[in-house]
Amino acid sequence: MGELFLPIRHFAEWVNEIPSSVAIRESQYFSPYLTVSHVVVMAFVAGLVLMMDLRLLGVANMRTPFSELQRRLFPWQMFGMTLAGITGLVLAFADPMRFYGNIFFWLKMLMLVLAALNAMAFHYLTYFTVSSWDSGPTTPFGAKLSGAISVVLWALVIVSGRLIPYNWFV
Amino acid sequence: MLEHFFLWLGEQPFSKGIGESLWIFPIVQAFHLVFLAILVGAVLIVDLRLLGRGMIRQPVATLARDARPWLIFALIGMVLTGFPQMAQNAAREYYSEYFWQKMYFLAAALIFTFTIRLKVSQAADGTVSPILSKLVGAVSMVLWGGVMVSGRLIGLFT
Repeated sequence: MGELFLPIRHFAEWVNEIPSSVAIRESQYFSPYLTVSHVVVMAFVAGLVLMMDLRLLGVANMRTPFSELQRRLFPWQMFGMTLAGITGLVLAFADPMRFYGNIFFWLKMLMLVLAALNAMAFHYLTYFTVSSWDSGPTTPFGAKLSGAISVVLWALVIVSGRLIPYNWFV
Repeated sequence: MLEHFFLWLGEQPFSKGIGESLWIFPIVQAFHLVFLAILVGAVLIVDLRLLGRGMIRQPVATLARDARPWLIFALIGMVLTGFPQMAQNAAREYYSEYFWQKMYFLAAALIFTFTIRLKVSQAADGTVSPILSKLVGAVSMVLWGGVMVSGRLIGLFT
């Protein structure tokens, strides 16, 4: 397991010495406000994703056709994801040694990948049948399943993200 | 008087117990953010619409009525996960300017949400001027943004 992380460690050590990485890490205000921005955009993205998930579960926004939520919220989710990605990358760039060996960081990355796969599976499978349940009083099993999986994955993204500073397993 | 309350709160077995556990505080803190995301989602669906974005085919009142139970659910979750954090750090919170800044933003956001914003979001489409709608959506976003920013700063600058 240790050797597996060796190239990542070398990369992290290299990034760690880049002058701009050092500068951000040592600045008194840049780093904290970067964290704050990341949390705000996280809430923006996850909030809109969760509203769509709860609609898939049939428990929220039921007076709005699902396709309408999908069409109108997707651009905002992508906008938020872009900002979350940028702020997150800069955070990792500024303190790579803190992240590369952190279990919660990798858990969060894994959950993000799984959330993306789940969203794609939904889009290419279940979403084909949307016309039959778009405005219906309930949603089919497939929609509920991907909504439930997404809620769990995004909750884990948030929880593991918040737990990164608690380095219990090193 | 308030100072006494905070110092007293920090000495309670409940508060001390949270501090003694390695896991409880971080987990509560993490779930505070999960409820935050639900809260922000429920707020944004209506605020984006008030700004003329998002689900513009739906009446504001419909979106607001659907979002309200989730807004209230999330607020309850925020309080249930927020109070233990405050109790565990009671003295530190009392002396933190960001804590009070967050409370002022929170009070303003709650009052605004359940008075002016409620009134405007219940009105039938076309009866509220677009400028007022946009203003209400923007003010709501700024107030909740203020709660989030100052809330996150409590732990970063002490």
